[in-house]
Amino acid sequence: MSLNNILTNWSRYRKGAEEGGFHEYEHQWGMVVDLNKCIGCNACSVACYAENNLPVVGEARYAKSQFMSWMRIERYWDEPDLEPYQASPTANVDVWIETNPPAGKTALKPSMPGSYAEGLLEPGGQGFEERVGVFGTKGEMQDFGASFLPMMCQQCHAATCEPVCPVAATYHTPDGLNAQVYNRCIGSRYCSNNCPYRLRYFNFWSYYEDAWPEPLHMQLNPDLAVRDKGVMEKCTFCVQRIRVAKDEAKMENRKVRDGEFATACVQTCPTGALVFGDLQDPESRVSKLWRFHQVEQGKTKQNKQNKELRGYRILEGLNTDPSVMYLERVREV
Amino acid sequence: MSVVYSFFSGWVDRSGASIGGRLPGYLMALMGVVAMMVLAASPAHADVPNAVPPKGEHQGKHVEQPIEFPHDIHANVNKINCMYCHTYARRSKVAGIPPTSKCMGCHMVIATDKPRIKKLTEYWEKREPPRWKKVHDVPDFVHFTHEKHLKRFVFDNQGMEVEKVSEVCAFCHGEVKKMTVAEKVKPLNMGFCARCHEANKGPFDCWKCHK
Repeated sequence: MSLNNILTNWSRYRKGAEEGGFHEYEHQWGMVVDLNKCIGCNACSVACYAENNLPVVGEARYAKSQFMSWMRIERYWDEPDLEPYQASPTANVDVWIETNPPAGKTALKPSMPGSYAEGLLEPGGQGFEERVGVFGTKGEMQDFGASFLPMMCQQCHAATCEPVCPVAATYHTPDGLNAQVYNRCIGSRYCSNNCPYRLRYFNFWSYYEDAWPEPLHMQLNPDLAVRDKGVMEKCTFCVQRIRVAKDEAKMENRKVRDGEFATACVQTCPTGALVFGDLQDPESRVSKLWRFHQVEQGKTKQNKQNKELRGYRILEGLNTDPSVMYLERVREV
Repeated sequence: MSVVYSFFSGWVDRSGASIGGRLPGYLMALMGVVAMMVLAASPAHADVPNAVPPKGEHQGKHVEQPIEFPHDIHANVNKINCMYCHTYARRSKVAGIPPTSKCMGCHMVIATDKPRIKKLTEYWEKREPPRWKKVHDVPDFVHFTHEKHLKRFVFDNQGMEVEKVSEVCAFCHGEVKKMTVAEKVKPLNMGFCARCHEANKGPFDCWKCHK
């Protein structure tokens, strides 16, 4: 019966999406990301690690893309052809990365391995001059021109990951969320391969064995399972917080109020670049922003009256119908 | 001499000696059908209105507790409400174990000469809580709140008296008032939960319970 329940719901949502949107959700959690305000500080990502029991996998596994950041900041360079920054030769800088350092200064070789964690970045320490090339301001990266794109699960209403799951471990909830049921997942990784945003993360190892050595395991969030090897996972829009807010509202016989709770990333963002709320509530901040920027759900191309409005959804042309709207960064011309 | 009817040997007294002939087969079959109908019509927890109790039995391991706490004396003989000690059940996810101070609130004066109470007083004077062990545990990936279940079956339930809350507790915890320390007598697995949710029209979304 329960499988029947899943299949019925599933086909209902799928069909709804094909017919221009399923609108019988209880809630429809959505987000707005203002790229103008994003400073790329990664606080949201750190908050997500703390809230959702995400393991820190270490450099070697990170290099193999086996990391688990449900919320990640993607970095793009605006003007890659820009000339490298030339500091004046009289500037009080000890290390130089340019091929032609001023007289009396040594040139550094970039791309040497190293990390902050190893404590090797103290000026004057062993290997500092080689290592600073990777992380220092004048390493392989430009001095300016970076723009940041926070990427969390877009909670698509026509999610490409859902129909390919062989065991219905990922499905659409009545809250309009794209859910992942860990104990149902068998780890086929079809969903991850089908996600155009690459926002699903697979547990290749039993990370819990070494990610939280004693006494760090005490900081694990009890409202969330610690996932084991062989399970796919992804951003849940902090479903444990949604659940608490809904439970409280139900106990008090009222509706969930806008701004009553927020996901960990939204709560942490120091510049307020992220806004979270219910898209079904016409008075919520999120739906006001969506309306203002004339972005509508269930469309593959937005029909904006004013071309100057900044709202857009990532890869919406693929008909995934994501719940996250991004506000384009205003650039100097 | 008390007389009982046995399906297999007819009317017998308690010693097992037959005192009458066996009933004919068709009558036994009829009685069986009647008994089944009666059982189906009147569930074991007839005191809880608007509720279908979950079905399922389980033989849990006996869990050794620091003090053999007699639930039967408290809940059955003295008729103390479950929520007097497990006071968090009505307002949080967990039912909670009462603090030792709550025990001592009564046992400063009541039954102070009993060995179990002496042991409790020892803990109290050492300022050390007894390390009660968890009996009813669900896996980490399951979200369960006592609060909402009590709201559905007790506080928001028309015609339900709060005094009879132990009947609701018994849905998942069995007849704790007949036990000393709690034993796990219900399976508490997904089928057990799901059948009850289906019968009582509870939520059926995966993410309502799985986390």
